[in-house]
Amino acid sequence: MNLLRIEFRKIFPYRTFWAILGIYTLLLILIVYASSNITINGQTMGSSTYQFPGIWQRLTFIASYFNLLLGILIIVLVSDEYSFRTFRQQVIDGLSRTELVKAKFYVVLAIASFSTIFLLALGLYFGLLYSATKGFETVVSQIDFLSYYFVQSVAYMVLALFFCILIRKSGLAIIAFIAYAKIIEPLLHFGLDDKLDKFLPMKVLSSLTPMPGQEMLDQLTTPTDMLTPQWAVLPALVYTGLLLLFSYLILKMRDL
Amino acid sequence: MFSLLLGELLTKYNLAIVLSIENLSKKYGSLKAVDQLTLQVEEGSIYGLLGPNGSGKTTTLGMVLDVIRPGDGSFSWFGNGISKETKQRVGALLETPNFYPYLSAKQNLQVVADIKGADYSNINKMLDLVGLGSRGNSAFKGFSLGMKQRLALAAAMLNDPEVLVLDEPTNGLDPQGIAEVRDLILRIAAQGKTIILASHLLDEVEKVCTHVAVLQNGKLLASGPVADILAANENVLISTPDTERALALLAHLPYVANFRREKEFIILTLQEGYNSTDINRDMFAQNIVLSQLIVRRKSLEAQFLEIINTESK
Repeated sequence: MNLLRIEFRKIFPYRTFWAILGIYTLLLILIVYASSNITINGQTMGSSTYQFPGIWQRLTFIASYFNLLLGILIIVLVSDEYSFRTFRQQVIDGLSRTELVKAKFYVVLAIASFSTIFLLALGLYFGLLYSATKGFETVVSQIDFLSYYFVQSVAYMVLALFFCILIRKSGLAIIAFIAYAKIIEPLLHFGLDDKLDKFLPMKVLSSLTPMPGQEMLDQLTTPTDMLTPQWAVLPALVYTGLLLLFSYLILKMRDL
Repeated sequence: MFSLLLGELLTKYNLAIVLSIENLSKKYGSLKAVDQLTLQVEEGSIYGLLGPNGSGKTTTLGMVLDVIRPGDGSFSWFGNGISKETKQRVGALLETPNFYPYLSAKQNLQVVADIKGADYSNINKMLDLVGLGSRGNSAFKGFSLGMKQRLALAAAMLNDPEVLVLDEPTNGLDPQGIAEVRDLILRIAAQGKTIILASHLLDEVEKVCTHVAVLQNGKLLASGPVADILAANENVLISTPDTERALALLAHLPYVANFRREKEFIILTLQEGYNSTDINRDMFAQNIVLSQLIVRRKSLEAQFLEIINTESK
């Protein structure tokens, strides 16, 4: 916990950190607020988006797009350690390379906890305001989507951490991170059989927060083979572990 | 009981050598940044690593400080490998002062204190010691280079380590700053601490250090007490009305390493173990009376170039 305290000492007075986190929360509030005005087939969604218990899946699905922002936040924090040469100084002062990775992983967990709790608050606020049914059973029946979201955002940020430790420069790391998540892996999906590509990292992560109404789409078009959120947790955790291990190995093999 | 005593003795013996480097090497591509370096730093010494820029000083220190992977060879601190425990006994400043620009001096030192397990009360003490007591709440990014350098010194000394490793600590400082830092180093050393100082300034090493290792192109050229390495071979200047006879005599004296004439003076270098007295006596014995006899130490730069040239031949 000493490591997390050290990280907080660096992060809390840092304006860039609060700016990015602020943008994240504001955009999310805005999107969730605006989503009731979305019109599909000439029908305004209205308060139906905020109905318990479906709101948890809708919220986490929307929030999954903003994981990129959280990843960028991690890249900013880690690339700073390279450009200020503070990774180097901390190793001189007594930290091991394992502790460098651990400390950043704790930051990832902290940010993921924050955003999960924020989603909980957001869901409860809009749900209790607009939902027709407010019974405790209904409210919590699909709340496990929040825990899938937590696993997902941790994995996203660890992927960003890995790219930043690999590349060291913030600009390039951000490009590589977004390019992999949004371009390279989707391209791989085209070339691979569904049976295989459902196990690729980005697909696994998006299986954690499936699109609401996917079942309906599947009936209209050829269904895409995806893992259920429950089954996606394990491979997501494995990917997270591997990326942390690779990050450590890169730090260990390189000069600081 | 006996083995306990032996253990204590061994510990004491190991303590005498603070840092031991053996055949340490590091290659960058085909460039040998550090080549088979072997040296030992004794407790209580001020050990200078002297060499021109790019001679491998920082690479050497980076390796023993665990931030650069050694290519080959080994090193030990206090007889042990590098670990959290040994790191806490060593305070170091490598190349540049490394801090978070948006944090204040105090906040930066708090981060360092947490890592080193140092007492927070040391923060103000150290800031006062390096003359930054009144600037503790200012952001690091607003500091002048001299202030940054002094903050790095404060950080290195934060948990009162036994050893200080300082890489070019006076780099970029103005003359007053240089004098202050040197004075600080001498004061710290007076407390019995060991200091390892890398510098490309001969003058600095000569003024501050007790021991020196001279590096060039990653190779160790010479090492030992400063007095032996840097101060040997004095120049003797003589002048006499009888210059021609003196020159003839000098050619026959076996202990004169070399001599040359320069205006009214003859400048000569003596072999080790001889001094101006021998010259004076032998000249007088041949009825050559000297009008002037001056012992002049060679300029440090000249000595340094001499060490480098002799070794590379």
